[in-house]
Amino acid sequence: MELKELSKYSDAVNELLARYGVKFGIYKNHTFKEQLFPFDMIPRVIEQEEFASLERGLKQRVMALNLFIRDIYHEKKIIRDGVVPEEFVYAGSGYLPQCESVLPPQGIYSHISGIDLVQSKDGTWYILEDNLRIPSGASYPMIARDLCRKCSPQTFQKYRIDDNRNYARLLRQTMDHVNTGGHTVILTPGRYNAAYFEHSYLAEQTGAHLVTGSELIVENDYLYFIDYSGKKERVGAVYRRISDEYLDPMNFNEESVIGIPHIYDIYRKGNVALINAPGNGVADDKGIYYFVPKMIQYYLGEEAILKNAPTYLPYYEDDMKYVLEHFDDLVLKDVAEAGGYGVVFGSKMTKEEKEHFLTLLKAEPRRFIAQEVIDFLDIDIVEGNSLVPRKADLRAFVLMAEEPMVWKSGLTRFSRNPDSFIVNSSQGGGFKDTWVLSR
Amino acid sequence: MDGIVVKRLRFHYHMSLTFDTPIQEHHFTLKCLPKSDDRQKVESLEYDVYPNYFVSRTSDSFGNDCIYGYCKEQHRRFLIDVKGIVKAGLAPAVSVDDDCQAHIYQYQTRHTKPGAALREYHAALLPSSGTGNRPRAEYLMHRLHRDLAYEQGATTVATTAEEAMALRKGVCQDYAHILLSLCRLEQIPCRYVVGMMLGEGMSHAWVEVFDHNGWTALDPTNDLIVDDGYIKISCGRDYRDCMLNQGVFTGSCGRTAQQQEISVSVEELT
Repeated sequence: MELKELSKYSDAVNELLARYGVKFGIYKNHTFKEQLFPFDMIPRVIEQEEFASLERGLKQRVMALNLFIRDIYHEKKIIRDGVVPEEFVYAGSGYLPQCESVLPPQGIYSHISGIDLVQSKDGTWYILEDNLRIPSGASYPMIARDLCRKCSPQTFQKYRIDDNRNYARLLRQTMDHVNTGGHTVILTPGRYNAAYFEHSYLAEQTGAHLVTGSELIVENDYLYFIDYSGKKERVGAVYRRISDEYLDPMNFNEESVIGIPHIYDIYRKGNVALINAPGNGVADDKGIYYFVPKMIQYYLGEEAILKNAPTYLPYYEDDMKYVLEHFDDLVLKDVAEAGGYGVVFGSKMTKEEKEHFLTLLKAEPRRFIAQEVIDFLDIDIVEGNSLVPRKADLRAFVLMAEEPMVWKSGLTRFSRNPDSFIVNSSQGGGFKDTWVLSR
Repeated sequence: MDGIVVKRLRFHYHMSLTFDTPIQEHHFTLKCLPKSDDRQKVESLEYDVYPNYFVSRTSDSFGNDCIYGYCKEQHRRFLIDVKGIVKAGLAPAVSVDDDCQAHIYQYQTRHTKPGAALREYHAALLPSSGTGNRPRAEYLMHRLHRDLAYEQGATTVATTAEEAMALRKGVCQDYAHILLSLCRLEQIPCRYVVGMMLGEGMSHAWVEVFDHNGWTALDPTNDLIVDDGYIKISCGRDYRDCMLNQGVFTGSCGRTAQQQEISVSVEELT
C-alpha cells in the first residue's frame, strides 16, 4: 500500500495534536514534565481475517479474566482446585481483601481491558500483558484518526478501513450497562495526571461529566454530583481514572485527598458502578499472567486462542532450573513494577549486576517471571525522509457490556530508540494509528 | 479447659474526640459494634454518634459491622456511645463454612512483616513444641508472654511487630501483632481481634487462630485462652483493618491536634 503519501501530512497532524493537548505527563525525579506523544503517520495495518482471529482470542481472554476475578473474591474454586497457588493471589500487591465478597453491578469487573500484544517475525501474535485496572490510550488513535481524515480525506476513500471513532459509543454502552441509576461521570485526578487529555476527550466524546473528587459526595447510601450552583444529582456510574488505592480514603489509602470518602461503602451496597471494579490488579499481575491460559481452560473449557509469550515462573523448581541455565536468553520482569520499569535482559547485565540479580531471584523467586525474548516483527516509522524499522506493540481494547466487544483499532506504540525493546509511552516512545481493514 | 461457661455481660463503650480547632466535612467509619457469632450472642445493642448529618450501616469484607457517616458542620467534639448486653463464652471456637477464605489471613501485612529481630526470635524457638495450629500458637503465646514486657507508652498505634519485638516491650496491640507475625511465619492463618474484656477499662486486642475447629481466640497479653469474659468487636489482618474510629475531615491549616478519650466498662450480669 502507498501509505507514504500520508506522511507528507505528518507536521500538520502533529501540530494539531499538540494544539489539542495530546500530551503525556511524566514524573521523573519528583518533577512533573509534560511531553508530546509523537505520532507517526504510517498506520499499523491489520487484515480483516487476521483481526477476526485476534478478536476471538481477546474476547475469550477477557471473559476468563473476569471470571477469575469474580472467583478469587468469592468461591476461590481455582485455588481450591490447585490451578493457581494461593500465594500468587494473596501475597500479590494486586489482591485487595476489601473486595472479598463484593459483587459489582452485573458481575462485571473488567469493563475496559487493555491487552498488550506483539507480533513476532513469523507472524504469530503473543500476549505481553493484560491491563485491567485503568488502561489508557484509546483516545490517541481516536483523535489521530480524526485529524488524519481531515488532512487527507482521499486516503480514507481509497482504503476500506473500519471506522474507529465508534469507541465513544462502545464506551457509553459499557458504562450505561452497569449504571445503577443517575448520571455517568468520568472521575479524573486532575490536570496533572499523565492521561488528563484522555479523560477530557473521552468525557467530551461520550457525553459524560468530567469531574474531580471534590465534586462528588456520598450522602446516606448514594453518590451525588454537585454542580456549579450547588445542586445535587445522583450518580449511577463512575468511570474512575483514579487508582484503587486513592479512590476512597475510608476504605483504601487513608491519606488520599483526591478520592471520595465512602464511595466504596455504597458500591458494596450495589448503589453505584465503579468502572473498572476495584481489586482487578489481582488478575493483571505479571505473576498471574502465567496462569491465564490455564484459566481459559478452567473456566471456559477451551484452549487459549492467543498465546502467552513463553514464560517461566522461578517459583516452580523446574522453571528456576531452566531460568538459571538459559539466563542470557531471557528477559526478567519484576512482577511488582509497571510501565516498562523493572525489566532486565539477561544478556545485557554486567557480571556484578547478574550476581546481584541472581541472589535476589533466589531469595524471592515469586517476585520475578522470566520470558523468552520474542523476535519482534519490526514496523516502519518515518524518520526524516526515510523509513526505519522499529519495535512496536499493540494495545487492543476490549469492552464488556452484555458481552465482550473488541474495538476495531488499537494503540500501536513504538520505541524511537532502535536498540530498545521497551515501547512504553512513559519511556518516551511514540504511537501510530491501527487500521483494521473492513474487507 | 474447653468446658463451656457462659456469662451475660453488659458493656458500655464511650469515645470522645476533642479537636483543638474546629473541623468540618468530617467523614467517619466506626467499627465498634459487636455482632453475634458462635461464641457470643448480642442480646441488645444501641449506639449514638454525635454530631452527624447522616449515619448509615454497612459491613466490611472481614465480616465486621460498621457505622459510617458524615458531619458537614463545624464541630470540636465528636462523641460515640455504644452499649449493649452480650452473652459470651457460648462456644470455644467460631466455626466457618469456608476454610479457603481463612487463608487470606495467612500472609504478613505491613504491621506484622518480620525483620531481623522477629526472625531471630523465631529461629530460637523450639521447632517441635506444639503440633497442630492451635497448640503451636499456644506455645508461641506462652513464650511471647514470657519474653515481652508489658509497658504502656513504649509503643504507639503505628508500631510494627518488628519494632516492638526489637524493644521487647509493648501493649496488647503489640502482643497481638507479634503473635500474628510468628504464626504467619509458620503458615498458620490467624487474625487480629479488637474487643472488650471484663475488668479492663480500655478496648483490648487479641488473636484468633484457624484450624479444623474454626477460629480459636488467644489473648497473648494475658497468656490466656479467650473465655466468657471477652466481647469481640471486630477482626482483620492487623490493627489497621479493625480501627475503631477512622475519619477524614478538613480543619485549619497545619495539623489539628486531637485528644481521644475512651472509656470502656464491662460488667457481669447475674
